Amino acid sequence: MAPKKVEVKKPEPKKPEPKKEAPAPAKPAPTPVAEPEVPKEPDFDPKSITVEYTADQIEEFKEAFQLFDRTPAGEMKITFAQCGDVMRALGQNPTNADVLKVLGKPRPEEMSSKMVDFETFLPMLQHISRSKDKGNFEDFVEGLRVFDKEGNGTIMGAELRHVLATLGERMTEDEVDRLMAGQEDANGCINYSSFVKHILSG
Amino acid sequence: MGCGVSKSSEFYSKKGGKDVPLIVVPAMRAAVLIQRWFRRYTARMEMRRRYTWNIFQSMEYAGEQDQIKLYNFLGYLVDNFTPSGNLISHIFRDHDVCRDTEWERYFSYENIDVPEIYSGPQLTFPLTVSQVAGLVEAFKNKQQLHSRYVLQLLLETWKLLRSLPNINRVSTCQSKEITICGDLHGQLLDLLLIFYKNGMPSQATPYVFNGDFVDRGKDSIEILLILFSYLLLYPGDVHLNRGNHEDHIINLRYGFTKEVLGKYKLHGKRILKLLQKIFSWLPLATVIDQRVLIVHGGISDTTDLALITRIDRHRYESVLRPPKQKGALSGGQSSLDDDDSVSNISLHNRRRSSLANDKPFGTRDSFLRRSLQDFSATVKKTVEEEQEARQRQGSNPLSSESDSDSTNDEWKQILDMLWSDPMAQNGCFPNELRGGGCYWGPNVTEEFLSRHNLQLIIRSHECKQEGYEFCHNRKVLTLFSASNYYEVGSNRGAVIRLGPNLVPYFIQYQASDLTLELTLKQSVGRTERSALKALKEQLFANKSDLISAFQEYDKDNTGRISFNDWAKAVGTVLHLDLPWRMLRSQLVTLTPDNMLNYHSWFNELSWKGRNTEHVEQTVLETLYKHRSTLETIFRIVDTDNSGVISFEDFGQTWRLLGAFLKMQISDEAISDLLVSIDTNKDGNIDIEEFMEAFRLVDRNRLERGNTVFIRKDEP
Repeated sequence: MAPKKVEVKKPEPKKPEPKKEAPAPAKPAPTPVAEPEVPKEPDFDPKSITVEYTADQIEEFKEAFQLFDRTPAGEMKITFAQCGDVMRALGQNPTNADVLKVLGKPRPEEMSSKMVDFETFLPMLQHISRSKDKGNFEDFVEGLRVFDKEGNGTIMGAELRHVLATLGERMTEDEVDRLMAGQEDANGCINYSSFVKHILSG
Repeated sequence: MGCGVSKSSEFYSKKGGKDVPLIVVPAMRAAVLIQRWFRRYTARMEMRRRYTWNIFQSMEYAGEQDQIKLYNFLGYLVDNFTPSGNLISHIFRDHDVCRDTEWERYFSYENIDVPEIYSGPQLTFPLTVSQVAGLVEAFKNKQQLHSRYVLQLLLETWKLLRSLPNINRVSTCQSKEITICGDLHGQLLDLLLIFYKNGMPSQATPYVFNGDFVDRGKDSIEILLILFSYLLLYPGDVHLNRGNHEDHIINLRYGFTKEVLGKYKLHGKRILKLLQKIFSWLPLATVIDQRVLIVHGGISDTTDLALITRIDRHRYESVLRPPKQKGALSGGQSSLDDDDSVSNISLHNRRRSSLANDKPFGTRDSFLRRSLQDFSATVKKTVEEEQEARQRQGSNPLSSESDSDSTNDEWKQILDMLWSDPMAQNGCFPNELRGGGCYWGPNVTEEFLSRHNLQLIIRSHECKQEGYEFCHNRKVLTLFSASNYYEVGSNRGAVIRLGPNLVPYFIQYQASDLTLELTLKQSVGRTERSALKALKEQLFANKSDLISAFQEYDKDNTGRISFNDWAKAVGTVLHLDLPWRMLRSQLVTLTPDNMLNYHSWFNELSWKGRNTEHVEQTVLETLYKHRSTLETIFRIVDTDNSGVISFEDFGQTWRLLGAFLKMQISDEAISDLLVSIDTNKDGNIDIEEFMEAFRLVDRNRLERGNTVFIRKDEP
């Protein structure tokens, strides 16, 4: 491994209490990245976010950030496209739309070229972490039950694949394959409560 | 969740040209939920993969650094004629026997009988295509080639290699595509997979193998025999480059020596000695179409291909040390600086202080003319040598200095080519992580390429997730051909095909002899567990140092420290630059107030050797922490390579280790260790048995190595 540059430490906010789940300021709920023509909402303003993480937490986030930093000189920067992944690696669960919003709704071509440094990243992460809308086991099972035509606890793998690839924040065929690997039985059926357990354990 | 109802047409599927409404809202909700969770799952998997990689790679390089330090230390002992130095000085004796014909007699295979019962391949020379194909087939079926044929094959190889230049020059004329292969590290499965996908070497399918054929994997000798056979069959179409592991000193530590001695109990020593010579005769690099350089490690800011072409490469049997000077400088003892850096050239000059233990080494021409020297006698310069020395020194009064200087320059050239790694920043400085070679930056690449009129450097030496990776603006390409290198599922291997347009085309693969196919989650999980296990072993092995470090933060001796302090202490003591906070949940359990009870933490891992209770804890720790070094010293001390050393030598080994680590190991402690071992071997100790007697076992999970098959319920 090439040696890393020593990073300049900036003073962190000195709040010792653990991160709070403060309710987000009144903003409309995030919309899915389906199509345009959705109601306009105020843009994300990083200055309005108070970062309440502890110094320890921030050190941990830095490690994750560094793990994904692919800049030649280890400059502690990641691309726009990586932001979502780093947040998810840190335990958050935003939709792609949520991520685009905190990035300031960039154009597609900016995703691989524009960079975010750690200081800019932190308020984005804080904002995402305050989202109440996380989804739990029941939500999942409810959602999948929609496809359970016979009401017997199983769904057709093929149908689920179709849905995941065409609705919502569409997945690629490759992503679907990876998700479904080993989940379908010989008849192509999936027991969806085990499926959900499988996803949640990741 | 508030999905807005969209009027978009994507919620209607087109069937036969008509819009069919789907159940939109709940389905969408479900879809988005699953999708976002999937993305989170993937991101976390990626993160785990990356830090696991970091763990393995840091430990690998730390090990290499250790080996070089050890080698330098042993060199110091020899140079300063310490009593223990005598035990190991033979590894520094460069040429025991001078004339090649004498060597050929020593390596003779003719009096080795092949028993009737032998069912493996029988070779006749010159080799034919069907014989070599048969050899590959035999290895595939786990057969072993008899030592007679091994020696014969190696002798033929040695003869051929001596006629090759330092730099192979190859062309892609007649629209031939050349296949380039990176590190193989004894992984026969990967070589077979490459041949299967890409074709066996032939006049139509030329190959370049870029070093590191041996060590770590378990079939190093088989790989060598296959490569050498093809080299003999198609000398114009098969090219081998030397890697940093084609070096008998490195082999002592990384498994090749052990493998050969294990497989060839009677003639292993001879085979190894012959390989030592063969390795030194391997070419150093290959150039394709005068445009693409293929070299194992890389370059530095002083690399000069013209200089390299003129070197006597075979003088460097181990690349870790410059060869002896002819007419060695007189002088007193040298002192070992704290700075062990291999770039400390003046230190090496001073080391050539006396002739008492070793013979002077002549130039290639002179030693070919010379008669056999008796290596038990103290050597004096012969008149001939003196005359030659004066002739060479000629007008330059300082030429004995400059002789050694130019040797050191040459040595550095080779070291850089075999050990260097590219880095992202501009510049060039010593590679202290590995202990040899340089880190070189993009500006050095630019300058080197333009000076030599080249367009691309293909190198190996570093494991890459996808088997290959570009850097330096796509002017440097790393190629690694040993898949699953750190662990099953850790990485793919790759080979390159290069045609006349010199644009690389990649073939990737992942060898697996598991009957189960691993999902991404399983393979990440497995690799991760393996890395964490190795890391925990390292932590435990450094218990004393860690406890001292922890106590710095725990002045009141409560036995507890904060997690933050834990992370700082661990990073400092282990010298491993890892994301400790991210690894926290895998390594420690914190109390509700985020503190760690460090004494009980260590109790989670414990020694479970046989009869080890009576052995002092610090000795055990030292043993564990430095077991690779200890094993290496054992193998060096074991001069007849029998796998067994005497009690006395055992004691000496420990004293050597103690000196290296700058710690005291009492005679009592040593005899305690001896009690633990089965010693019904007439005052001898079996090295393997000794090493096996001490194993670290996790108290919670008795893991005795990797299982081949995974239970279904495991994540």
